[in-house]
Formats: sequence, C-alpha cells, structure tokens
Amino acid sequence: MSSAKIPSPETEVSVATSRLERFVDAGIWSSRIVVILLTLFAAFALYFVVTVPLAFGQQLAFATICFVCALGFRRLQGQYATLVMIMLSIVASGRYMFWRLTETTYWERPLDAAWGMLLVAAEVYATLVLMLGYFQTAWPLKRKPLPLPADRSQWPTVDVFIPTYNEPLSVVKPTIYAALALDYPSDKLAIHVLDDGRRPEFKTFCEEVGVNWTIRTHNRHAKAGNINEALKITKGEFLAIFDCDHIPTRSFLQICLGWFLRDKLLSMLQTPHHFFSPDPFERNLGTFRKVPNEGELFYGLVQDGNDLWNATFFCGSCAVLRRSMVEEIGGIAVETVTEDAHTALKLHRLGYTTAYLAIPQAAGLATESLSGHIGQRIRWARGMTQIFRIDNPLTGKGLKIGQRLCYLNGMLHFFYGVPRLVFLTAPLSYLFFGAHVIEAAASTIAIFALPHMMHASITNSRMQRSFRHSFWAEVYESVLASYITAPTLLAVINPKLGKFNVTAKGGQIAKDYFDWSISRPYLFLLLLNLLGFVAGIVHIAINWHVRSEVNTTILNLCWTVYNMLILGASVAAASERKQVRATHRVTMKMPVMLKFSTGRTLACETIDYSEGGVGVALPSKIEVPMHERVTVSLFRGDEEYAFPATVGYTEPGRVGLRFSQLTREQEYDFVKTTFARADAWTGWSEGRRPDTPLRGLSHVLLVGTRGIAGLFEHLYSDLRTWMNKRPVDVKKLKTKDQ
Amino acid sequence: MKVITVVSAKGGVGKTTLAANLASVLAARNRRVIVLDLDPQNALRLHFGIPLDSIDGISRATLSRDPWQTVMFDGVDGVTVLPYGAVTEDDRRRFEALVDSDPAWLAHALGSLALDPNDIVIVDTPPGSSVYTRTALTAANFALNVVLADAASYAAIPGMERMIDAYAAPRADFAGQGYVVNQVDQSRQLSKDVLKVLRNMLGTKLFPGVIHQDEGVSESLACDTTLIHYDPLSQAAADLRACGEWLLSAVDAMAASPRKLA
Repeated sequence: MSSAKIPSPETEVSVATSRLERFVDAGIWSSRIVVILLTLFAAFALYFVVTVPLAFGQQLAFATICFVCALGFRRLQGQYATLVMIMLSIVASGRYMFWRLTETTYWERPLDAAWGMLLVAAEVYATLVLMLGYFQTAWPLKRKPLPLPADRSQWPTVDVFIPTYNEPLSVVKPTIYAALALDYPSDKLAIHVLDDGRRPEFKTFCEEVGVNWTIRTHNRHAKAGNINEALKITKGEFLAIFDCDHIPTRSFLQICLGWFLRDKLLSMLQTPHHFFSPDPFERNLGTFRKVPNEGELFYGLVQDGNDLWNATFFCGSCAVLRRSMVEEIGGIAVETVTEDAHTALKLHRLGYTTAYLAIPQAAGLATESLSGHIGQRIRWARGMTQIFRIDNPLTGKGLKIGQRLCYLNGMLHFFYGVPRLVFLTAPLSYLFFGAHVIEAAASTIAIFALPHMMHASITNSRMQRSFRHSFWAEVYESVLASYITAPTLLAVINPKLGKFNVTAKGGQIAKDYFDWSISRPYLFLLLLNLLGFVAGIVHIAINWHVRSEVNTTILNLCWTVYNMLILGASVAAASERKQVRATHRVTMKMPVMLKFSTGRTLACETIDYSEGGVGVALPSKIEVPMHERVTVSLFRGDEEYAFPATVGYTEPGRVGLRFSQLTREQEYDFVKTTFARADAWTGWSEGRRPDTPLRGLSHVLLVGTRGIAGLFEHLYSDLRTWMNKRPVDVKKLKTKDQ
Repeated sequence: MKVITVVSAKGGVGKTTLAANLASVLAARNRRVIVLDLDPQNALRLHFGIPLDSIDGISRATLSRDPWQTVMFDGVDGVTVLPYGAVTEDDRRRFEALVDSDPAWLAHALGSLALDPNDIVIVDTPPGSSVYTRTALTAANFALNVVLADAASYAAIPGMERMIDAYAAPRADFAGQGYVVNQVDQSRQLSKDVLKVLRNMLGTKLFPGVIHQDEGVSESLACDTTLIHYDPLSQAAADLRACGEWLLSAVDAMAASPRKLA
C-alpha cells in the first residue's frame, strides 16, 4: 500500500479533474437565465470560430493549437474533459464543412459537379451523423440496478415469453431451462414458449419440464403478432421477452425489475444482447474477444447514451416491459419489420420512460455466416427506414428534442450505404477521369480536412474505446454498404417494400471456403481501386514536371490505397472459416470435481464449457486416458450437481469431457450451473488491448493486407480445384467402365 | 493451547481419518499441532507412519506415571502424535477408572506439556458416549462433530448435543461446536436430500462445504499416511484444506474474545 503515497502522474490528473468537475457542478449553472444566455453566447462564439476566414498559415496555426489542446485534454480523466474534446472536434469539423461548402463547391465541368456534389452530400451526411453521435453519447447514464424489496410478497408477477418459429428444440432447450432457473418466486412467474411452428415435440417437452406451450392458429405479424396473441391470454404485471436462443442468467428478473417499482412511468427496460459465439467478423478475422464486435458499440455506449435522454430503444429480446403500457399502445408494434424500436417509439410518444442496464444478463448465439449476418442487418436497416417514413420521430406528438435526435441518429445511421460507397470510389473520379471534385489545392484540403478527421478520430476513440476500436466502423460499414443501400432506398420510396426474414442460428460451417457470391461487390470495388491505383501511377509518370498534378494524384493515391485495405478487410470477412463444433465453448473458470471409476477424486477448475461437456485444467500435468468414464461435479453455491461423462480429448494437464446421455433433470442442472450463473458474462472484455487511433488503424490495415493476400490464395486454390475437376471426373467414368 | 475435540455420535463416520487429516492441514499452515488419541482402538497413529508393533502411548504412560513427553512421536507432515498405546484389558479398565475419577486429568496432563497459546491439540475420541468422550469434552475449547449425510447420523445428532451441553458448553473457555459432513457422494439423491436437511437444521454451525467421498482416503491409510500427503490434488484433500481453514478461523476467533463466544 505504500506505493499509493508516491505521487504519480495519474493522481495529479485525477486531482485536476475533480477540481474541474467541482467547478462545473457548481450551483450557478442550474439557473435558467444563465443557461439561456450562455447557450446564446456559445452559439455565437461557435458561429464566429467556424466562419472566420483565415489565411493558410493562420489556419495551420489554429488547427495545430486546437489539436494540441485536444491531446492535452485527452490525458485527463472524466466526462468533462471528453466534452471539451467533443467541442474542439465540433470546431474543427465545423470549420472544415463551412470551408468545404463555401469555397470548394464551384465546379468547372459537369462531370466534376456530379462527382463533387455526391462527395459533398456524403460528407455532410457523415458530419451530421458524427454530430448526432456526439450528442447521443456525450454522457452515458451508466444506470445501476435497484434492488427489489426484501419482502418477496411485494414482488410483481411476471410472464416470461420465449417466442420461437422454426428453431430446433436443441437451440430452445437451454433457454427454457434457464427460464426455469430464474431466481424468482414460482407463484409469481409464468413461463410461456410461444411456438409459432406448433410442433408436437415442443409440446411434449414443455409439458415434461412444466412450462406453458402457447400457440395461435395463424402466424400473422411474425414475432410481434406472436407476442400480442400471448398478451391476450396471460395476465402478469410484467413481461420478459427472450429470443429463443437468448439464455437468461438466474438474476435477470431481480436485476431488471427494481427500477419498475421506483419509476412508475417506466415502460421498458432493456439489457444488452450478449453473444458467446463469435459473429462472422470475429470468426473470419480472428478478432473474437480481442476487438469489440459490431454490436458492442450499440449495447455498450449508444444505449447507455440514449438512456440519458430517456430514449433507450427496445431491442426485441432480453428486456422487460410493463404490460399495462404495452397494452395501451395496442401491443407490440406490427407496422414495420423492426417491431421493437417502433414499440419503444410509441411508448415514448405517450410520455412513458424506458431504461437501459448495461449488464449482460442473458447470452445467445451470434449469426453463423456472413450472409446471415448481412440478412439481419438488412432487416434492421429496412425496418428503421420504415419507421422513419411512417412514424417519423422528428414530427408528431409526445417526444422531447433529445429523444427526437436520438431516434433520428438511430435511423440516419442506417443510411450509410450510399455515402460509404461514395467514399470508397471518390478518388477514382480523379484517377480515371481527372475530375477535380474538390476545387482546392491539395495542401489547403489537408489543413482543413486533416484536423476534422484527426479530432473526430481521437474523440471517438476516447468515447468508444471499450466498445469500438478505431477504424473498425469503416470495416463493418464497408461490408454492409453494398447490401443495405438498395433496401433502405426502397423503403424510403415505399415502406411496404420489405419482408421479414428469420436469421438461421445453431448451424455449422463444414469447411473453409470463400464466399465468392457475397463478396462480389467488394471484389468489384477492389478491382476498380486497383485500376485507379495503376492509372494514378501512370498519371504521375506522365505529369512528373507539373507539381500540383503530382500532389493531387498522390493525395488520391493514398486515399485509394486506404480504400483498398478497408476492402481487403471486407474480403477477409467473407472468407468463411471452418466451424466444426455444433455447440460453442464458453470460457469460464469455476471449481469442478472429477470422480474416476476407481473412486479417487480430483479437485480442478474448468477451462470452458459447452452444451455437450466441459474442458478441465488438471493440476500438475496429470494425464487421464481417453474414453475413461468420469463423474463431473459442478457447484452452484452450496449445491453440487454430478454429471456422467467420458474423456473425449486428453493431453497432460488438460482434459475434454463429453457428457454421456443426460436426463432432463441433469440437462436442467447443467444450464443452472453454467449459462444461468449470475456472473456468467461479466468480465467478457477483460484482457483486451486498449484502443488508440493509430493502433486501431494499423490493426485494420494489417487485416486488410492479410485479406488481399488471402484472396489471392483462395483464387489460386479455387482455380486449381476447378482445373483439376474435369480430369478427375473423366477418371471416375473410366474406372466405372472397366 | 487450543483443544479441539473431534466427536461423533455413531461409529464408522471417518472421525479418526478426519482428525488426522485436519491435523496435517493445520500443521501445513505453520502451526504446532499435537494429536491425542483417546480411543482404545489406537488407530490414529497409523495415519502418521508410527509402526504397527509400537505399544507406547498415553494410557501406559499415565498408569506408570511417566511424563507424556516420553510417548510423543514425530509423525508425518510435522504433526506430533500422542498414541493411546496398547494395554491389557485390566490396564485399560484401571486407566478408565482413573480418568473417570479425576475430571481434570486431561487438562492437567495437557498443561504439563507447556504448550504455546497458539498451539493446537486435536483430540480423537471413540464414537458415542464414553468416559473418553466425556473427559475430552471437559477439556475442549471447540467440539467438532462428524456426521454422514444419512438418516442414522441425522437421528443421532441430539444425543451428542446433550453431551456437549453437559460437559463443554457451561465453561467460559469453550468457544462452541461445529459440524462437518463426511464422505458425501452427491450423485446419490438421498445424500443430497439429507444434506439439505442438515444445512437447514445446523445453519452456521455447519462447515459450509462437505468432505467428499474418496477412495484415496482408504488408500492413504493403507500406506500409513494422511490423504493430504498421499493425494494432495484430490477433491477430499481440497475439502479438508477448506475445512481446516474454517476450523482455524473458528478457534482463532475465540482467542480474541473467549467470553463472548462462550
């Protein structure tokens, strides 16, 4: 403890932060007049800072000072320093956009104008989303759970809904077991499996384990309709909804319900969607648990930011809703394919609140393949666009300005398709056609654009560091851009154009393969950029003596190379890695006892578990023979549960145990001691390297390079198999003839 | 000196094995541990590598008025062993009469060893009610009751509680009693159910874990040693270590404020 007394840079920083925070928290700021006056003053000052014309040297000096300030504030802890960085980023982006819109939008040729306007529009969109993002996530609420009253008789009644349609029973079983294991008085809890497939094996299973098998006669409005039918025949005060493969932890209801008793207007509380299997990006790029996945930004930061503005979205699963309020809006919304977000919007319009708890209290399987992942995102993009069209959050009654802006960003976010494609092709207009899309010298562009990008980069890296590593958004968006562009545009034109598609889960990918069909757009763009690159090199060689031409070409070449590497990462994401396991292993260290046929025992710790067994670390490099029969005991508090197993894998100090046929009771016990543990998903991101913009950039570029290299490998091997195919077939025929 | 008396209402619950292994666990935590065998079966010493043909022990020493120091053995794991010793039937009766006539006999004998306040004496007793159990409880600071997760153990608990109430509880330096469930096999439903009942009945007096059934325990005795020594990686050894920890915190707490706990 003596080390704490040594003054370190960190302690000095925290002292400075607290002084700053004390100043900002002072009482005078709560006066309405002071706030209005200051806001006016700030708006005027911002206008002045953004619009004042500066000569080249002056702009360079101003931008440098701003960036040095930002770097200084980056060293401070706390949310207020973040706000200062946001402000500096807004200034840099504001100056850039003002300059861009007023000085560079004069085009000499129609071709320049066409490309130029597209690019300006894309930039305006990107800046708008950047600003909305700052607003949305400026101050994450970080809500803590409230305990339920000690007297259990005061706890409300709850219906748990598990809607399913065509998922196999093996996928739904763990969820049902975990629902049964919820720590909640059984007389106040009713579990309903809403089986839209009306399958007899579900009926049998539900009856055996003692949950309600609830069906309807039709399948109108898919999941939303399914839940609405169930609402008619149930009567709990609250309903908890779990997608059929989202396994809740035992503490789910106790963690989630507290806020409903405190806030009488609370209509919905959402918890994160956590995935214990890698999504296609994580699997194909080898980033599982190392780099935050696509969803983590939303569930880690965006929803927490929304919560401040009372604009938490409902995400369809792992959430609790108050029945009376859901009934008041006529049940779960059925007008769009994203019924969840629309339901929350309707609740907000009636003045009800929603809440977010960033504690993973349930977990499920991620989408298996990239095509499935893309299909799901298309649905989200289409649905959000539909809401934008039929129930626009900017207009209509009941919403506060903060809520409107959060919803706006939630929807605008899905329009990134066209702008992303524009950015991926913009340098080509110059490299191919010599179009001057930005009417300015390369150096001038640099002193305006670079501060804009660098501020945005370090500010976002600070705000999102645990939830999205720098430059990964570019990868995620580039993969999806070509696919969500058409559906979003179609839905803008006519919201009715849209079809619900269920995401297949629980499958497996039998062997490594490259998804040529899904990566067609990236390959096309990659080829274009490659040609552009060659054209640029040729252009430099021809115009070596014209310095301005060379500079502009180099600027565009750098952009093209960056685009190629981002596309390389997209290509890598489409290179499906083999996934042999039908069930996924979850890393978890917990005590386990092994009992051998000799009656001897071993006290060990688990390495991981899956639905089919456990991996166990053996002390002192002990070796256990293959196929040995073992009894595995897992613990939950004082309770112990024993499972029969055989050794399926062995090496010194480690053993993989496969369960023998488990009874229903044992299957239930296993879910209870593993997936349903209250601490099952905490500490998921432990051991990740912290993000910095340069580290993120180099990682993305490395992944992109590997992607391009891998592409050539696949091209070579696929060509070879294609070439070899014919002679092999001929041979086969010959042997048959003989 | 802290005296822990290990008792059980019925035989065959693994009391002697538990006493030996707990001694071994506590000795591994750098405590001086003396185990005293007050059971005429004279079996405790076998866990500590004392030769089968050795006949020395406290019964003979007491009858011949030799100091106990002469029958102390250095056992495995650094535990000091005071065996019961091998005696003729007549001598045994004379010894029991002597013990019966002098309630303070054990306290005096232990006092003569001039032990440190932190040293631990673990006394093993024969099952059920006997002159040995009585005298061991009379000198005890802590009584550890060993039970099995079965109906017979459950039924025998009140009898042993009465003995503890009669001989140990009224004393100011008696810190309390604890229970340990031994030889548990939770793949059997009956064990699970009885365990649940025991937990409800005994509450905080019960060691929160259990000692799992383990063949290594019998094998270790066959090899003249303790399980901690023979198979330190087994679950039963892990359980015993946890139990030792629990026991130590219970007896060390009493040193701070014996009156409060009594």
